[in-house]
Amino acid sequence: MDACLFLMILNVCFNELQADDPVVSDDDYGKMIKLFKVKEKQLADNANGKTLIKKQTAGELRLHKDISELNLPKSCQISFPNGKDDLMNFEVTIRPDEGYYLGGTFVFSFQVPPVYPHEPPKVKCKTKVYHPNIDLEGNVCLNILREDWKPVLNINTIIYGLFHLFTQPNSEDPLNHEAAAVLRDNPKMFESNVRRAMAGGYVGQTYFQRCLS
Amino acid sequence: MAEPKTKYDRQLRIWGEQGQAALEKASVCLLNCGPTGSETLKNLVLGGIGSITVVDGSKVDVGDLGNNFMVDESSVGESKAKCVCTFLQELNAAVKARFIDEYPEKLIEMKPSFFSEFTLVVATQLPERSMVNLDRICRDANVMLVFARSYGLTGVVRLSVKEHTVIESKPDHFLDDLRLNNPWLELKRFSESIDMNVPDPVAHKHIPYVVILIKMAEEWAKSHNGSLPSTREEKKEFKDLLKSKMIGLDEDNYKEAVDASFKLFAPRGINSNLRQILDDNCAEVDSRSSDFWVLVAALKEFIFNEGGGEAPVEGSIPDMTSSTEHYVSLQKIYQAKAEADILVMELRVRNILKKIGRDPDSISKMTIKSFCKNARKLTVCRYRLVGEEFSSPSLPELQKYLTDEDYSMAVGFYILLRAVDRFAANLNSFPGQFDGEMDEDVSRLKSITVGLLTELGCNSSILTEDLINEMCRFGAAELHAVAAFIGGIASQEVIKLITKQFVPICGTFIFNGIDHKSQILCL
Amino acid sequence: MHTDIEIVEAEQTSIDCTMADSTANSRTRDLDKLLLRPGHLIGPNFEPGPELRDDLQEYAKVLVIGAGGLGCELLKDLALSGFKNLEVIDMDRIEITNLNRQFLFRLEDVGKPKAEVAAKRVMERVSGVNIVPHFCRIEDKDLDFYSDFNIIALGLDSVEARSYINSVACSFLEYDSEDKPREETIKPMVDGGTEGFKGHARVIIPGVTPCFECTIWLFPPQVKFPLCTLAETPRTAAHCIEYAHLIKWDEVHNGKAFDPDNPEHMQWVYTEALKRAELFGIPGVTYSLTQGVVKNIIPAIASTNAIISAACTLETLKIASGCSKTLSNYMSYNGVEGVHVKVTEFVRDKDCLVCGSGVLIELDASVTLKKFINLLEDHPNLHLSKASVTHQGKNLYMQAPPVLEEMTRSNLTRPLFDLMGQVARDTVHVTGMMSKNDKKMSGLRKLRVVFKGVDGVADMDSAGSA
Repeated sequence: MDACLFLMILNVCFNELQADDPVVSDDDYGKMIKLFKVKEKQLADNANGKTLIKKQTAGELRLHKDISELNLPKSCQISFPNGKDDLMNFEVTIRPDEGYYLGGTFVFSFQVPPVYPHEPPKVKCKTKVYHPNIDLEGNVCLNILREDWKPVLNINTIIYGLFHLFTQPNSEDPLNHEAAAVLRDNPKMFESNVRRAMAGGYVGQTYFQRCLS
Repeated sequence: MAEPKTKYDRQLRIWGEQGQAALEKASVCLLNCGPTGSETLKNLVLGGIGSITVVDGSKVDVGDLGNNFMVDESSVGESKAKCVCTFLQELNAAVKARFIDEYPEKLIEMKPSFFSEFTLVVATQLPERSMVNLDRICRDANVMLVFARSYGLTGVVRLSVKEHTVIESKPDHFLDDLRLNNPWLELKRFSESIDMNVPDPVAHKHIPYVVILIKMAEEWAKSHNGSLPSTREEKKEFKDLLKSKMIGLDEDNYKEAVDASFKLFAPRGINSNLRQILDDNCAEVDSRSSDFWVLVAALKEFIFNEGGGEAPVEGSIPDMTSSTEHYVSLQKIYQAKAEADILVMELRVRNILKKIGRDPDSISKMTIKSFCKNARKLTVCRYRLVGEEFSSPSLPELQKYLTDEDYSMAVGFYILLRAVDRFAANLNSFPGQFDGEMDEDVSRLKSITVGLLTELGCNSSILTEDLINEMCRFGAAELHAVAAFIGGIASQEVIKLITKQFVPICGTFIFNGIDHKSQILCL
Repeated sequence: MHTDIEIVEAEQTSIDCTMADSTANSRTRDLDKLLLRPGHLIGPNFEPGPELRDDLQEYAKVLVIGAGGLGCELLKDLALSGFKNLEVIDMDRIEITNLNRQFLFRLEDVGKPKAEVAAKRVMERVSGVNIVPHFCRIEDKDLDFYSDFNIIALGLDSVEARSYINSVACSFLEYDSEDKPREETIKPMVDGGTEGFKGHARVIIPGVTPCFECTIWLFPPQVKFPLCTLAETPRTAAHCIEYAHLIKWDEVHNGKAFDPDNPEHMQWVYTEALKRAELFGIPGVTYSLTQGVVKNIIPAIASTNAIISAACTLETLKIASGCSKTLSNYMSYNGVEGVHVKVTEFVRDKDCLVCGSGVLIELDASVTLKKFINLLEDHPNLHLSKASVTHQGKNLYMQAPPVLEEMTRSNLTRPLFDLMGQVARDTVHVTGMMSKNDKKMSGLRKLRVVFKGVDGVADMDSAGSA
């Protein structure tokens, strides 16, 4: 559309908005509405190609903060399969340095939603594991991933939460019912089941791939 | 044929099959089909109202094309009622639509019997005199009436029904009916059967908070002469006691118990709203009493006898941290009590019906059940005739509104909407309706307004010049966006009245299109 | 025709805006009262007159996002409120469950794109209105597309889409050297939302009133049941349904994704949920509830959509014309018990990453990223140490984790000007430790970087910047 037409409407509707006007208070909407002037400015910008660049959402920025502040124990490592500029999808590898799962390597995938931290990331365990709080499909029962998620929490908290699941598996909130029952009733047997699963083998009817390093 | 049900899926989730059936049975008459009327009916036709009758005597002119979506170029010069009716019919083939090419004022004056065939009349853009007359007619014929009017950036919606009683008021937030402070025998026994000191941590964190609170309340009462915590200090002490019973940090059931302890502290017995209904004169029933009041009479007996001061138990419980087994058991205990209460209520209802000479089975079991489930939430709305409100509004209320900043603009519009009708009655046009006489109209409207306020016994200096000027600027314009807002409210209220669900506006809704501080005035 | 002639006469003869009753029988009969007459409770820049009305029709461009329950109403309302240039964007096709409220659609339209049918129906009915439909995702359009509109009206049902459009609209916003928003870069939005008998309408003037991100907490996060409750201690029908949907499906279907729009999938979840409910003695699983829980269906009715859209349209008209005071700035509506309308004036988050001014930093074009990071530490308003820097989705430098530090380390010695694509000015975001009143805390800040000595480039590239 013709730029001079916009100038016209500017003069018609909004000619009170001159620079010599007294300063208008912040919440005075009216001064803002030089609606139709926007055009010329942006045409110029577009010529530069600048506005075609994808803008970062608030969720991406907040995630950038979370990631740049990560402070992980040696046993937890993070990697970015899509390179340094896609932080929204990453993997966390946990190698427990104590407890039942000592020596195992467990990989979790993180998918961070655009409205992060309004919504928590989706986390799945990619390594099949014999664990009371992780089912065979990789679903994880960690309260802060679902019902107790709050925007003040961050990626670091979640990774620590996951790490904690390996040092202190919890038989009270089971997702793998059988594993939880064994842990509660017979910790010795639980321990040997975990070793067997991590070494690659059957526990009951279920086959586990080796994940010992 | 599954289609209608699917089509209405999103609203069936709100008012259910019964509400939908009521809508589909209803016949609604619309007076004047400008944008306010057209938009009201649009929303009702979409929702599947049974039938509509559009009454309007005017022809479509070019101006109507600018504010009414239910007319188009080809309509100009045609009967407005016919055009609007045709376009409305397009929206939903299941609705029976017809029109009458006649001025509503004429029907009101010449053929009052016309209105008695409808479930409900929506009267739009009527001036005061016609409103008052129509109101009498509908009141006598027991037809529900909804007035709606858009006027510049303001507007009004006013219901008029002698009495509207609601069983399913479906409030947003309502205290659960758990009887924590007054448990019956089975509930007490169940609580006693559960060991709070169970060593298994899984079992411990799955004791439902209902049980925790009942047990702890009993323990408390033993050491406090049978009474429950009542002072702030006692309540805090009680909560601390609850916390001290936790054996793990992540025991959600105990956290829930602390959060829900206010349900235990709540007073026993019925709330003041229900008390008022029980004390209503209508609760003394005779053969002319409605089913609702017969049920209230039975409820009154129940509360003073079997209920021991309490209404029938609602029977449903909220979700709470618990083992499945405990939760299902609790659910059954509440349900069983609710069903027992319903049986008692049913007996009482049948007895009362017999006593007043009606068929004892004339109120269905389903209605009794629903009444018991909602006993604590019953609502009764009564509406003054608009003529009475106009001639003698509640003066204290009016004074209150006039001096309350939150209400000042809304009450200003209320007064001015009446003043413009007086203006029009005297001068045959609304202030500012035609260009050229704005200044004169402003001063005329001002003096009429002052006169009206003085007549009502109010300080007349209270209305701002700005508002009077704006009202003249509006010049009786019916803006589409305002009409859509007013029509939206009007249709919503029609739905509430017809489905007998939710609580309709009790008072006059005044739309404030300037800063959106709309209000309800109870005059 | 008769009326047209009279309008012309009126425009010629009247100097001020008080008209003869020339428009009494024109299409704008009612709107003219508001647009042509001077008022008392108006916006500060209201200039009543026929020009205002005509310019609104000719030049104001409004984008409606969403052609659903709100979108259909918005298009109709705007078309009948003096706007003639409208566009609408929606990626969905018409479904049968839309018909109880999306009044522009008929049974025979099921399966067709909403945007196209909605635009066509309104244009058929209201002559002179032009509506361009866009049957696509909001992300499919570039910033040029959005920059073209004067006002954006949102009829959306998700936090995510609102957040996206908000970031787009705010991306046009520029501040002057005194941190005042530059008027010509403000892209106002009106936003509506409904759920059953409840809803909200709000006005977002980026840089002036809170943006969507400033007040994102207004939207409660979706309720999520703990997985172990679903697996171990189901109590409600919804628990049984979510078990079938989130746990059992994966167990049985070996990697096949669940599709909520596939009726067979839904039927499977329903059947499984029912079995589980019977096993545990839990009442209440129905097909309708299954759909509701799995698809997170929000009940919707025509009347609430009409009310909220009407409020949004009225505000759009006021923003564009100044014909009345505007809503300041959030209206909540509840029609469950009577009608409650509440207006709340929310305040901006001055440090909002999306609409905030950020901190202005002027640099020489030769400054390296490393130097820039050091400068932030000494900056009087920032005192930000250990900064990580990101620019338009590109991570220029990350202090942690080591894997990213390694990948971005080589940027440290390069000029920031080059890393930012040699533009004269742009926004970067930095994270690091900030000290405030001797307290160290981590923070995320928006910076407006301006390169000195590349003004010539700037003038050429972005006219209008001062």
